[in-house]
Amino acid sequence: MNFFRGVMGGQAAGPQPSGAETIQKLCDRVASSTLLEDRRDAVRALKSLSKKYRMEVGTQAMDHLINILQTDRSDSEIIGYALDTLYNIICSDEEEEQDESEDENTQKQVDDLGAQFTDHFIQDPEHLTLLLTLLEEFDFHVRWPGVKLLTALLKNQGPQVQGVILVSPMGVSRLMDLLADSREVIRNDGLLLLQQLTKSNAAIQKIVAFENAFERLLDIITEEGSSDGGIVVEDCLLLLLNLLKNNSSNQNFFKEGSYIQRMKPWFEVGDDNSGWSAQKVTNLHLMLQLVRVMVSPVNSPGATASCQKSMYQCGLLQQLCTILMATGVPADILTETINTVSEVIRGSQVNQDYFASVNAPSNPPRPAIVVLLMSMVNERQPFVLRCAVLYCFQCFLYKNQKGQGEIVATLLPSTIDANSISAGQLLCGGLFSADSLSNWCAAVALAHALQDNLTQKEQLLRVQLATSLGKPPVSLLQQCTNILSQGDKIVRRGSKVQTRVGLLMLLCTWISNCPIAVTHFLHNQENVPFLTAQISENLGEDERLVQGLCALLLGICIYYNDNSLENYTKEKLKQLIEKRIGKENFVEKLGFITKHELYSRAAQKPQPIFPSPEEMLFDHEFTKLVKELEGMITKAVHKSSEEEKKEEEVKKTLEQHDNIVTQYKELIREQDAQIQELKEQLSSMTSQNEQMQATMTQQLSQIQQHKDQYNILKLKLGKENQNQGEGSQVNGMQTEELTQLREDVEELRKQNALLQTQLDDKDALINKLRSEASQTAEGSAGRSDSAQLLEELEALRCQLQSQSAELNQVKMERQELLRRAEAGSSNPENDGSMDGAKMAELESRLTTQLTEMGRLKAEAKSSTESRAELEQQLASSTSTVAILQTEKAKLQTAVQESKKEQDDLLILLSDQDQKIFSLKQRLKDLGESVEDEDEDDLDAKDQMDDDEEEEDDDEEED
Amino acid sequence: MAYAYLFKYIIIGDTGVGKSCLLLQFTDKRFQPVHDLTIGVEFGARMITIDGKQIKLQIWDTAGQESFRSITRSYYRGAAGALLVYDITRRDTFNHLTTWLEDARQHSNSNMVIMLIGNKSDLESRREVKKEEGEAFAREHGLIFMETSAKTASNVEEAFINTAKEIYEKIQEGVFDINNEANGIKIGPQHPTTNSTLSGSQGGQHAGGGCC
Repeated sequence: MNFFRGVMGGQAAGPQPSGAETIQKLCDRVASSTLLEDRRDAVRALKSLSKKYRMEVGTQAMDHLINILQTDRSDSEIIGYALDTLYNIICSDEEEEQDESEDENTQKQVDDLGAQFTDHFIQDPEHLTLLLTLLEEFDFHVRWPGVKLLTALLKNQGPQVQGVILVSPMGVSRLMDLLADSREVIRNDGLLLLQQLTKSNAAIQKIVAFENAFERLLDIITEEGSSDGGIVVEDCLLLLLNLLKNNSSNQNFFKEGSYIQRMKPWFEVGDDNSGWSAQKVTNLHLMLQLVRVMVSPVNSPGATASCQKSMYQCGLLQQLCTILMATGVPADILTETINTVSEVIRGSQVNQDYFASVNAPSNPPRPAIVVLLMSMVNERQPFVLRCAVLYCFQCFLYKNQKGQGEIVATLLPSTIDANSISAGQLLCGGLFSADSLSNWCAAVALAHALQDNLTQKEQLLRVQLATSLGKPPVSLLQQCTNILSQGDKIVRRGSKVQTRVGLLMLLCTWISNCPIAVTHFLHNQENVPFLTAQISENLGEDERLVQGLCALLLGICIYYNDNSLENYTKEKLKQLIEKRIGKENFVEKLGFITKHELYSRAAQKPQPIFPSPEEMLFDHEFTKLVKELEGMITKAVHKSSEEEKKEEEVKKTLEQHDNIVTQYKELIREQDAQIQELKEQLSSMTSQNEQMQATMTQQLSQIQQHKDQYNILKLKLGKENQNQGEGSQVNGMQTEELTQLREDVEELRKQNALLQTQLDDKDALINKLRSEASQTAEGSAGRSDSAQLLEELEALRCQLQSQSAELNQVKMERQELLRRAEAGSSNPENDGSMDGAKMAELESRLTTQLTEMGRLKAEAKSSTESRAELEQQLASSTSTVAILQTEKAKLQTAVQESKKEQDDLLILLSDQDQKIFSLKQRLKDLGESVEDEDEDDLDAKDQMDDDEEEEDDDEEED
Repeated sequence: MAYAYLFKYIIIGDTGVGKSCLLLQFTDKRFQPVHDLTIGVEFGARMITIDGKQIKLQIWDTAGQESFRSITRSYYRGAAGALLVYDITRRDTFNHLTTWLEDARQHSNSNMVIMLIGNKSDLESRREVKKEEGEAFAREHGLIFMETSAKTASNVEEAFINTAKEIYEKIQEGVFDINNEANGIKIGPQHPTTNSTLSGSQGGQHAGGGCC
């Protein structure tokens, strides 16, 4: 500072040039000095000049200061000075001071200055990144001015700075860390920084929320004593509002994080509290706003509904209702609490039901709704509070048919309770009070009880009002129109227009979409003339809206007219308009409503907010109705009577058509029924058909199975036949053998026969010889021998005969066997061919087939049995053959033996022959004559044999 | 609703791979065939049960478009788990995994559990990336792997729950510092840990909060 004074003292030419020069010198020192201390002093000097010579320091020193930030990071002191200086030149907060000293600078220019320097600073995004890294410096002298500088930059050029921070790595996260700083100053300024940072930037809002902002902020609020806390609580709440307002993702996160539950204790303020400081009012106000942000009518219905639900479940709504009924709550807070409760219950049946059940702690207890309505029609209550009550009532009735019914019921003769004040009484009182605001509010409130609810519109027609003594009761509808028409006669506080607008809105809502109400309205002969008079009159600006509303009411009378009143049919009303007002005029007057400057404002959102009581003219729901009806009424009125007639005709023809159509419809219905019946039949048939087909296929498959079985059986049988064939083959082989054997036997027989003939010959010879020998004594012995031989031969012959007989028998059996086998094989074949013929008609005769099959099977079985039998027989026959063969062999050996014996016999014979010969010789010698003729007749061989025999005989004789 | 732990997840990956649909399927159990491009980041939450403990999952579904990359990077640090998603019918989304993984590793805390997800497994006929390739990539980079279908809900539940299981195991092993919320893990109110610090006039601030 001393140094600075010195410099200043040297340049005495005046504050401005000297300032500029000094700053130039300081800048040079900052830029060129090699000593840190020098630079530090220079920067410190700049800092002290920066408020007074903001522009000079800003224009000349900024780049040098930024350089310092880049190069002298190690020295926190110089960095701190540089940041402070930059803050001073960029921040526009303290411009007022400067304004006084700088004559030539207007306020606007000062504002521009901050923006200019900000632009210059953020020209290079690197500078912001640098600033962000400096914020990581823990040193208080760096961090604190850094936070303030960044806040100032954000204030001046929010979107650009936000953009740079958003793309710099961990930029937002680092700033969030400021909330964890143990030094409260930094934490609190960090809150201000985050407020600026999160302003209208959803992406940053989400990141901040992601970095546990809700948790931290709610913790800070709790630590600071909630609503009793200081400005820090307010800053936290403002930041929370920034994070949640119009950010559905963050709202969802807030709800899912169960933070709604943490809001409940905020509202535990009770009656006993020590008083309401301004800060507490501000804090509570923001807290209520936070609740409203979560259940705002502009949020998606689903999100709002789930928040409403959890607010009821965690007891937040109940807590708010406690404040509502508490005493000593400032009007501001009470008003905002009513608004908050309104939005917490709006459209949520559970919450609405709860609200209806809330009682004020008065004696006797009154429903909260009644207490609130009392405030609404009480002209001494603040305007905003009355608006809030109206909003609350509207929200209570929004999409709440039950609530609407309950309110209207309090006016009905049957349910009216004379002893206590009811909502209906209060509304009627408001409707006919001398206060225009009460008139308007009560009319709108009553209109909401009828909104989209035909039943209540009709019910309300029953309401009768007792007027002055001696006069008959008047219907509520009548009373409304009376006030409307006599409006000018009653002295009122407030604007007459307001009352009439209110009543007209009520009437429009009441009779629209309710032909019975239209008829009731038209029944009063004064109403239509009044309306036409209002519309056709050339009134001032103030009355234009009333004219428009009258036109709307008349239009509704036409549009929802059921022509039940002869004097006021659609047609007649239209003619009336044409004659008395003029169509164009009528439509123009109708257009006055939507052209009204307050109309569009009311159309924006449901809450009735008006800057002043005079501007309280339109209701949000009513604007919707106007939007819906305007076009339709214009169209209806524009149609000429001819057109109308045509339309009527068209309608008639249409009706005729309708009749025809209904006839046709009837016909169609009948036909439909028929078709239905037929369809049913068809379906049952098809199902039957399907069943049949199913059984068919089943049967077919069965048949196929049977066929297969049959084929298999056939095959089997074929095989069996083959087997039998084989068997016959075997038999054939056997027959071959047999024939061979037979041949053998034949041969043997031949041999036998030959031998027999030989034997016969020999027998004869022997007999002859015997007879010759008998003549000789010696010859007798030989004879006995040969007789023996003959016997033996006879036995042999017998044996042979029996054998041949047996053979014959075998042959017979064989033949029989063959025949039978043949029969066995031919039978099934015959049947098979028969079956083949049957196959074609097999489907119908499945059962016979089956039995046939059975029979076939049986036959097959029997044939196999017989085959087995045959086989057995065959086996036995083969065995007999074998026996025969052995016997044959025996026979053969016997034959052999007999041959041998024959040979022996031949030898004997030859011996005997020789003996005979010798005997003959001897006889010759002896001189006896011997008959030689026998010997001559014999063959040589025979002779030989004979000789041998003879010899044998001889030998035997010997 | 009381929970034992709260885990923060992020879902990352190329645009159009089905990140938002995975989240919607997990939180709302429905599939939206036509989904608007995610702008920045969207939030979703659900409660799951692991090892008999209630665990609250808070999930930030990020925009896949390159232009949002700088914004979505801000979410890496505070997340305990990440679902890195590619589309099995688009090879390029698989090819970009390395970039995503580098980004995630660079900006997240080192213990963040990353689950690799091959989404759209219902579109088998249009498959361009084999399951084995995904498995190999996951093995190579130490990730858990799964193929999912946000459309049929196949494996969606498992993907989120298995990631939570992995985080839970890491907590049991003491890898995570559970008292540092910057890790994306928070101990539920039922744990009597930090009660002593905040017991001013507002005791029992959770008393009324039965359910959300």
